Amino acid sequence: MKLFRPLLLFAILASITAASTLAFAGEPEFRAVVNAIETQYGVRRTHIPMLGFALFFVRPEGVSGMKLAVFEDFHSHTSADKVIRLVENSLGPGWYPFVRVRSRKSSNGDGTEDGDAETTLIYASPSGGKLRMMIVSLESEEATVVELKLSDHAIKRWLQDPKDNAEEKK
Amino acid sequence: MKKMLLLLLVLIFPVMRAQGAQNQDAPTRDAAIPPDIEKLSARAKETVEVTMDGPMLRWASKFLSAKDPDEQKAAALVANLKGIYVRSFEFDKDGAYSPTEVETLRSQFRSPGWSRVVGVRSQQDGDNVDIFFKLENDKMAGIVIIAAEPREITFVNIVGPLEVDQLADLGGEFGIPKLDQKSLSKAHRGEQK
Repeated sequence: MKLFRPLLLFAILASITAASTLAFAGEPEFRAVVNAIETQYGVRRTHIPMLGFALFFVRPEGVSGMKLAVFEDFHSHTSADKVIRLVENSLGPGWYPFVRVRSRKSSNGDGTEDGDAETTLIYASPSGGKLRMMIVSLESEEATVVELKLSDHAIKRWLQDPKDNAEEKK
Repeated sequence: MKKMLLLLLVLIFPVMRAQGAQNQDAPTRDAAIPPDIEKLSARAKETVEVTMDGPMLRWASKFLSAKDPDEQKAAALVANLKGIYVRSFEFDKDGAYSPTEVETLRSQFRSPGWSRVVGVRSQQDGDNVDIFFKLENDKMAGIVIIAAEPREITFVNIVGPLEVDQLADLGGEFGIPKLDQKSLSKAHRGEQK
């Protein structure tokens, strides 16, 4: 039993490490987008303990693989177009613009606007019967990068109503 | 051991590709969206842009036809298209855009080569829908839908061969609004007379 405990502990730790590693390995585009945001805006993604492990077990419906990076200290007043260029330069061939959602803050009362309150960029990478999505969401003080692998059912849902699905993902 | 470490490093830090995203469809995409439409975006509470073209559109056609027999009609139509572009603008109050702005948008499709086949004006709720067809060598080469509601404007440009009767089959897919088949057929027949 004494021998069994360290082995069990090792197995659990190995599983957590493997899950965390899998969350980032093998998907260079995700890392490229995350690194580009870190470099361009001088921010670091927020460390979320056990994130890889959590994402390994908890996924939204129709998602078979998910990667997530959150930048809580993202204070960018740059235009959405600059971010689009940054994201597109970071993504490799095989990624296509799919949906872009821009939400504005309400008017200031003097006819002026506060600018983009939130921009969500969704790029798709189809391959065979699979579809991957890179979702980059930018708010005034937070940025999120999510990569998803979608099931057939989820792909169909997205193709039928990309607008509503994108609004849900904001 | 060194090989194992190297392998681990390769797995954890994969080589990143720094090439740009696919952009060869950009010229078609730019031509499909009237430049004036961005002015609406500046005042909209929310702007949604849906882009389906090039390899993405061809893939969607194959996917739909392979996965769902009910979708085969739409999939076959999509296979021949060059692009589907949807721009939707939602405003937080009535009168956020002027009727002149929508009229300017419509006027761009009253040029030679374009034909308006549907025009619906509702005095009651302020909903207006216009459908324009593009003709090239007497064949349909594209469809533009402009739907204006008091707080929402939707612009759809479907580039590629498509018949008016087939438009209803695409409604409800790729962010294209659902359109009534009977009204479309009736309007088209009326226009052809």
